[in-house]
Amino acid sequence: MFDYTFQWRVVWRHWPELLQSAALTLQITALSIVIGLAIALALAAFRDSRNPGLRYLAISWIALARNTPALLQIYMAYFGLGALGIHLSPYTSVLAAIAFNNAGYLAEILRGGFSSVPATQNLAARGLGLSTLQAYVYIILPQVVRTVFLPIVNQIIWAMLGTSLGMIIGLQELAGMTTFLQSQTFRPFEFYFVAACMYLVIAKIATGSAHLVSARMFRW
Amino acid sequence: MIEIRDVHKSFDNLEVLKGIDLTVNNGEVVCLIGASGSGKSTLLLCINALEPIDSGRVIVDGTDVHAKDTDQDKLRRKLGIVFQQFNAFPHLTARQNVALAPRKVLKMSRADADILAEEYLVKVGLEDKFDTYPAQLSGGQQQRLAIARALAMKPDYLLLDEITSALDPELVGEVLDTLRMLAGEGLTMIAVTHEIPFAREVADRVAFFHEGKIHEVGLARELINNPQQPRTKEFLGKIL
Amino acid sequence: MDYSFTSNDFWLMVRGAGITFVLTIVSGFLGTLLGFIVGWARTAPSRIVYHLLGAYIDVIRSVPLLIQFVLFNSFMAIAGHPMDPFTSGLITLSIYISGYVSEVVKAGIESVPGVVRKAARGLGMTYLQDFFYIVIPIGMRSVFPAWTGLMLGLMKDTSLIAVLGATPPELLRASQIIINRIQEPLAILLGAGLFYFIMCYSITVMTSRYENSWQQKREVIR
Repeated sequence: MFDYTFQWRVVWRHWPELLQSAALTLQITALSIVIGLAIALALAAFRDSRNPGLRYLAISWIALARNTPALLQIYMAYFGLGALGIHLSPYTSVLAAIAFNNAGYLAEILRGGFSSVPATQNLAARGLGLSTLQAYVYIILPQVVRTVFLPIVNQIIWAMLGTSLGMIIGLQELAGMTTFLQSQTFRPFEFYFVAACMYLVIAKIATGSAHLVSARMFRW
Repeated sequence: MIEIRDVHKSFDNLEVLKGIDLTVNNGEVVCLIGASGSGKSTLLLCINALEPIDSGRVIVDGTDVHAKDTDQDKLRRKLGIVFQQFNAFPHLTARQNVALAPRKVLKMSRADADILAEEYLVKVGLEDKFDTYPAQLSGGQQQRLAIARALAMKPDYLLLDEITSALDPELVGEVLDTLRMLAGEGLTMIAVTHEIPFAREVADRVAFFHEGKIHEVGLARELINNPQQPRTKEFLGKIL
Repeated sequence: MDYSFTSNDFWLMVRGAGITFVLTIVSGFLGTLLGFIVGWARTAPSRIVYHLLGAYIDVIRSVPLLIQFVLFNSFMAIAGHPMDPFTSGLITLSIYISGYVSEVVKAGIESVPGVVRKAARGLGMTYLQDFFYIVIPIGMRSVFPAWTGLMLGLMKDTSLIAVLGATPPELLRASQIIINRIQEPLAILLGAGLFYFIMCYSITVMTSRYENSWQQKREVIR
């Protein structure tokens, strides 16, 4: 069946480029999560605001982010904005699209976290004489963090996997670099296999450490 | 002294309190009884301004609770409150639960607050649970923790909202014992409760709520043993 | 060359939407079937099966779908069975979604209270009777919204099959082809986006209404 000699050494020769592109993947992932989280905090607040404008902004953003493909969002950033005169690089397009997407999902995660804290907790805290801010910081927030921690980690993993879409518009993060290298060396299977392993290792390290941190931080 | 004068409150279109008048003197234990939904819990929340009122006045030691310039956070230090469930802060140990407010609100040092916390935990019978998290405590222990936490702020009044209603029957006794002890020490308490025998034994006065109004109020033993109003008789007849 | 949006382009997009549908339904069906078996197997007592299948699911969820597409495609080529991109993409999608479905199925099976199952066995039902008459109706109904969410995610993920150059093109690839020619990306992307949005959003709304009524029924039973 296998009329094929595997040539792993070819991949090894290009290891530096692969590592570099993996670093780019992680960079985009981290930035997209930080930006997405910041926006998500605002969206979660707006979503329950009494101001209808803010409320509909949040509802629309979240609905659009969750009901359209990430690739479409990248196309919108890369091609769509181009029609309006805004020309984003592949890097910025991927970052913007993934961050946009993250914001939508993270907003829902945050809302879920807040609504999982029983109303009595806030009442009990205020009843003791704690101010609104004190109740929020010392009582509500720690409980929210516990609930949202692992879902946020999952979203981080998703974002990392999502950066691979950059390869379609020529961005040389890990998937893009792998595609480029295999087109030069005609060794698609070896390169993609190694890339898959790299993604797998990163994901496992991330979830593994997340579970360890979670077990220690949330001992209660 | 807590004075409640002609208090009205509605949630959306539903009027929950339809003109409540009640005075609670220092050292008194007043129990509020009545069917669920008759407004008792809401009244408690109105006393320490956790719920706003639509009209009327609530006056605690001469201060109008709902006046615009009243510092409600400060006022709440005088009024301890314990709820039916989900009282305990799950992410803090028993000691941390009790010490939190003294530290953050009364600005006590960590060491002083810890000593204070341990004192009150011993008082409610949790002397071996200082470093335990609420998840490891039984329901009765969590309620006693909540009582200790409220007491650590040295309030003048203690508000109790059906604190035994969510407990398994065998755990109710230990909580009632704690309340009995506090009543014996002269703490002013307003307790919403379904435990009628307890009310008869420990309370000074009892107020029977029906559909948002106080239907009948009187001395505990008299009202429960010999209710005058028909609805009161009906309610007590079902329970006793 | 016609640089404007022609009726051919419109039909290309309509066909694209149709291909999206076909891909979703076929890989959804196959993936659900496979996922159901895997999820069921993971509730069996065997620890080996649990961890082995768990590893397989782990890999699926940790590697980007794009990489899975090209990896599977090149693997089949090496193994001497080169496939047309459409078929290999379909198989990859099915395997991909089966990983997620299996987790949902497993959760659904485990959500059936042990008491209920013991009651069934106590009445004399066999394991299979318990499974098909008790566990599946209760368990699968409770995870139905989650499964629907997966299917909608699958619909969005079909847009990635373009990377293999699969023909005929699904909706997003069709859009890209047209954009390359007529240089009018905004309207076309909005059109494609509208399709995905309407499909996903309306189905999500319907399922949450269903979930609410199901929850109400459960509360009545309690």
